[in-house]
Amino acid sequence: MAATTRSRRRILIVDDDRALRHVLAALLTDAGHVVEQAGDGPDAIARLDEGGFDIVLLDINLPSVSGLDILAHARRAVSPPIVIMMTADDTPATLLSAVRRQAYRYLRKPFAPAAIVEVIDEALAASAAMSIEVVSARPEWVELVAPCTLEMADRIQSFVMQLETNLPEAVHEAVAQAFRELLNNAIEWGGKLDPDRKVRISCLRAKRLLMYRIADPGDGFDIDKLRHAAIANPADSPLEHAIIREEQGLRPGGLGLMMTRSLVDELIYNEARNEVVFIKYLD
Amino acid sequence: MASISITERRVGDVTILELDGRLVLEEGEIPLRDCVDRLVAEGHTRIVLDLRRVTRLDSAGIGMLVCKYMTALRRGGALKLLQPTMKAEELLHITRLSTVFEVFKSEDEAVRSFGTA
Repeated sequence: MAATTRSRRRILIVDDDRALRHVLAALLTDAGHVVEQAGDGPDAIARLDEGGFDIVLLDINLPSVSGLDILAHARRAVSPPIVIMMTADDTPATLLSAVRRQAYRYLRKPFAPAAIVEVIDEALAASAAMSIEVVSARPEWVELVAPCTLEMADRIQSFVMQLETNLPEAVHEAVAQAFRELLNNAIEWGGKLDPDRKVRISCLRAKRLLMYRIADPGDGFDIDKLRHAAIANPADSPLEHAIIREEQGLRPGGLGLMMTRSLVDELIYNEARNEVVFIKYLD
Repeated sequence: MASISITERRVGDVTILELDGRLVLEEGEIPLRDCVDRLVAEGHTRIVLDLRRVTRLDSAGIGMLVCKYMTALRRGGALKLLQPTMKAEELLHITRLSTVFEVFKSEDEAVRSFGTA
């Protein structure tokens, strides 16, 4: 489908894989975008210096100049483009370097070429001004601070869960689901979806466990007043919370805490309940 | 933002909605709500949701399933589920909603479960 005039953008594809460049260029041109290509670092930097790109699709393992260096160069521009990294190198150190340098997203190769269109649509809909602050980028202790928006939740989850690609699939899925539920709670209820408020996320990896801490900027909640959450339902009335949510004018939902409790090994709130820790044991 | 596609067709007086994509907060949940609300307003209250191509489901998505289940029920109809993924089935079990929803392995079985109008 062709992009509308409003969404038609100038995109630079940087990759030494000529075949991949051409596939992506054809796909994005077909989607209505204006596409340029660079096969190496110097060519990419020269084109970036000319300016005017909205999005850069950037390989990391390029000859002569690292994609991470090109990312840093691109981000120093007065109006920096959104940069989406593409690489088979998914080591935590590389991923965290990309996050620290404000890559928008990190796509692991191989990926379905059509996936790039979806990521670009998301990137174009996002606010370019919002960024993730990297407080700690050690693989065993990652700490991020980000604005309270759902778009940011997508980005954070994408980065954080790519740090744990070596987990068994079932464990990875459970952690990803629990992380997203608690992050959404923090951003929606604690942060009120306000981009001026920040959520703080810590991801700790020890030999035998993963631990995630999410601190939101809200006042917390009183668990005894959570009648609109499924955890408060009587055992024989699984829809009671949904009826209460309708009465209170709340959006459908209220199942996140119940789901998370089943997906992780420990779920601990602080006294105010505006910070939560969950733990998944690995053995 | 990426969303969900919903394909609608009728088998007798039963409406089949094939969902393809993410049924999550602020994405697939909204199109699903709008679609079911329209159907119910038009008098089509016997609904089967084909979930086999739902790639991601979260608590908001399941919450919308519950909400639209209640919408159909209040209008004298029913909303039933067809072929949820293993992950979706696990989430329905965790949330005790497997005791609420009728879940079917085949479309024919789901349609026949409504009986005749």
